[in-house]
Amino acid sequence: MRQARPYSGIFCGGVSARTGPHALPLARIKKIMKRSAGEAAAAADGGARMISGEAPVVFSKACELFVAELTRRAWAATLDGKRRTVHREDVATAVHNTDLFDFLVDVVTADTAGGTGGGGHDGNGAL
Amino acid sequence: MDSSFLPAGADNGSAGGANNGGGAAQQAPPIREQDRLMPIANVIRIMRRVLPAHAKISDDAKETIQECVSEYISFITGEANERCQREQRKTITAEDVLWAMSRLGFDDYVEPLSVYLHRYREFEGEARGVGLAPAPPRGDHHHHHHSVPPSMLNKSRGPGSGAVMLPHHHHHDMHASMYGGAVPPPPHHGFLMPHPQGGHYLPYPYEPTSYGGEHALASGYYGGAAYAPGNNGGSGDGSGGSASHAPPGGSGGGFDHPHTFAYK
Repeated sequence: MRQARPYSGIFCGGVSARTGPHALPLARIKKIMKRSAGEAAAAADGGARMISGEAPVVFSKACELFVAELTRRAWAATLDGKRRTVHREDVATAVHNTDLFDFLVDVVTADTAGGTGGGGHDGNGAL
Repeated sequence: MDSSFLPAGADNGSAGGANNGGGAAQQAPPIREQDRLMPIANVIRIMRRVLPAHAKISDDAKETIQECVSEYISFITGEANERCQREQRKTITAEDVLWAMSRLGFDDYVEPLSVYLHRYREFEGEARGVGLAPAPPRGDHHHHHHSVPPSMLNKSRGPGSGAVMLPHHHHHDMHASMYGGAVPPPPHHGFLMPHPQGGHYLPYPYEPTSYGGEHALASGYYGGAAYAPGNNGGSGDGSGGSASHAPPGGSGGGFDHPHTFAYK
């Protein structure tokens, strides 16, 4: 068929052949999941956790929604400051103002305490 | 090195699992910075989609969003993993992820993600039915979609569905080999949908405003990628992503745009 109408809707998140129809690379998502689940599983029952091939697919779309929502809230904070450039402080403000993002407080706080980190090198965040 | 433990500790604490801060510090192998975060080019593209054209994003904001995405994945995965432990299962499934999101307050995400997952499974079933030849997986690289020969790429570009299915299928096989074949086959293995599907087969417009933008952007970038195969041979994920997305392929985008609007 000349027009990919039936299929184009499936890939509303797709952007390039490099990542297939998903906006974020599945292998990278799987690595992050593997590290997070592996540590907890090893500590609990010593068994390695396996990850279904569909779980990173769900995360690929979920992270899009997450980044979009966090960006919108950060932009609202930017507008409150009468600015046009989104800064780290705007993201931190968005996180603190949203109960849903409570789990990110340590991330944005550690970044702020560490100042302008080079290449994402964070200070020793107290947990 | 230190920063890699912060998400793990926070994740375990918030998920209510075992407190293994010390254990994590000792057991976690050194993690490359590149593997800890999502590629910044992908994150920036998503941010641009929801911001007005005149908005600017500072570098520190980009990095912070990158950290937040990784933390989000770890946060949800920790909750899903806890459920697997209680039920004595070893594999985290897509359903576990959706359950964890609902439990942790991301209720609004569950419905669009369920639709997305449903369409993914339909596509997987059809891809297997078509009988595409899987490319041999390579352990030392994670993205080899451009390893497809130009002739194959050109041939598959004729039917639009073929062009899109090929890299996807390859990706799935790569994952299976990476994790020792532990990935279970999709339940819709035998489900085969006819090519000429109903003309009114439309996805749910859960984000009507951004959906058009996504579609147009996808068409434009895919056109560019199709015209420049193999451009990302040896570069890393981050820079590779940037390189492949920098030239959007004006002619490709122009060609695809009418279809995009016709579709809407």
